[in-house]
Amino acid sequence: MNDLYTLASGTPNRPRFNCRVPLENSRQLFLVDGLVQETGKSFSFRLQKGQVMEELLQVIAVRSDEGPNELTYSNELFFGENTFGRLLCCAHAFTQGPVSTQETVSIQLEANAQAEIIVMQHEHNEATHKTRFVVNQAAGSQLKMVFLSLHGASIENNIEVNLQGEHANCDLSGLYLADGQQRIANHLRLFHHVPDCQSSQLFKGILDDEAVGHFSGKITVVPDAQRTDAFQANHNLLLSQQARIHTDPQLEIYADDVKCSHGATVGRLQPEELFYLRSRGIPKKEAELLQQLAFAYAVLEKIPNEILRERMMEMVEKRLRGGC
Amino acid sequence: MLRINDLHASIGDKEILKGINLTVRPGEVHAIMGPNGSGKSTLSAVLAGKDTFTVTSGEVRYQDEDLLALSPEERSWRGIFLGFQYPTEIPGVTNVNFMKTALNEHRKYQGLPPITAAEFLKLMRQKMEIVEMDPAFSSRGVNVGFSGGEKKRNEIFQMAMLEPKLAILDETDSGLDVDALRIVATGVNRLKRPDNATLVITHYQRLLDYIVPDVVHILYKGRIIKTAGKELALEVEQRGYDWLIKEL
Ligand SMILES: Nc1ncnc2c1ncn2[C@@H]1O[C@H](COP(=O)(O)OP(=O)(O)OP(=O)(O)O)[C@@H](O)[C@H]1O
Ligand SMILES: [Mg+2]
Repeated sequence: MNDLYTLASGTPNRPRFNCRVPLENSRQLFLVDGLVQETGKSFSFRLQKGQVMEELLQVIAVRSDEGPNELTYSNELFFGENTFGRLLCCAHAFTQGPVSTQETVSIQLEANAQAEIIVMQHEHNEATHKTRFVVNQAAGSQLKMVFLSLHGASIENNIEVNLQGEHANCDLSGLYLADGQQRIANHLRLFHHVPDCQSSQLFKGILDDEAVGHFSGKITVVPDAQRTDAFQANHNLLLSQQARIHTDPQLEIYADDVKCSHGATVGRLQPEELFYLRSRGIPKKEAELLQQLAFAYAVLEKIPNEILRERMMEMVEKRLRGGC
Repeated sequence: MLRINDLHASIGDKEILKGINLTVRPGEVHAIMGPNGSGKSTLSAVLAGKDTFTVTSGEVRYQDEDLLALSPEERSWRGIFLGFQYPTEIPGVTNVNFMKTALNEHRKYQGLPPITAAEFLKLMRQKMEIVEMDPAFSSRGVNVGFSGGEKKRNEIFQMAMLEPKLAILDETDSGLDVDALRIVATGVNRLKRPDNATLVITHYQRLLDYIVPDVVHILYKGRIIKTAGKELALEVEQRGYDWLIKEL
């Protein structure tokens, strides 16, 4: 295999996990209880200057029965100058009972690097997952990240982005689906340290039963960061009377020539839309599902790869239908 | 086909329909006219099953069934179609997906397998042609950003896809230019069969030049105050409603 990117090596282990439904043009790598399956080392991904990845790297983090109940680990993703790379990072738990994971991921984009990272969180009703993403972007780099939080007892994402070079662009979006007693929190901190950068954050959630969601997002534009273009939105759909969302978008702007907007909404399914759909013969449950998928679509359409987008849409639909 | 018997309906504690009686037989076209706020849209919504209105008394029989006991989707499967006065915009749901889902639910009710993607596209093209609708509309969100006239054409397109037995067209002509009016009316006429019926709600005689009614009803303050032949529409257009109200 032609290795464009390097991964830390070590003593090979016997693989226990493999992927039954690999995506086209992709390569799978398993992180078992925080360590790379084949090497037993922690995951460090580095694209050296000028490297362009054709394939999608799927990093599948699994919690196994052999791992500790409480696990802490960190990863590193490095995109050198003028590189292009795509990753799909999934979290699954193949354990019974309560487990908790704390994960720190540092992401560095050097000048003009381009990265697409999809994060999918799909554990179980007794899994607690807490992440901390620290992103640093140099001049002209472009990062696109999509967070799909589909399943977990409690998921908390802390995302910090530092735009450190001019004309850097960061596009973050997230979709969180919670029901039962689930808790999902997204805390975003975005710093525009230099002029002429763009950032966009679109987070949308659908909460049912007694689920509780939290969103806080703060954009800081330092005094020199003129011509900043920053956008932030958090939209929520509540499907039950008990579901709750706490949302707190904030702007902290010290420069004067900036274009910033932020907003948050909390809504319910539209009865007028529902009646229109039903009047054409679409049963109530299906009509509600169509509305939810429509709501989720604005985030899902951010996934650039069409095959991956279709796959993720199927997963979201399955999840909204009450599966897992 | 449809028999409405002393139908009363309210919203909150405000009574809007105050005893409607109406019988429609297969093959017939009925026009309903009446001043603004008289209850025309309320009547159509009640027939389609909108639950914001409460039926307080009376009954509606449709093809020997108690219509009011059915959900909106069950009514649709049995051939009721409401062309909305103000079609709803549904961002994020594409017209294709919407119609495909709807059509397949109808097929399921009829015991048919889901339509294949190719068959569906062909059918959709055909039906869009009837209302001279640009195929580009199929991938847009349902009614999102459609002009008033485009929304009305989309209603008739949906009607063509679902081939209803009883179509209730609530002011489908309002907001249409002359050409669009002709297109929509021709569309409705092409869907006409001896075993289906149409209820046309309109303010204007000009639609009835194209879709010729067998009967014209005047609805006023929640009651049908006059029923006559198609000449009544012309008379209303020339004289307004005052003379009818005075006759009461
Ligand atoms: N959701 C509602 N809440 C309160 N009143 C309503 C509601 N919907 C309808 N009404 C009232 O019911 C009455 C009948 O309304 P409806 O829309 O049926 O009239 P219409 O005959 O269709 O009028 P138009 O010719 O203007 O379309 C009006 O007085 C209207 O204000
Ligand atoms: Mg009306």
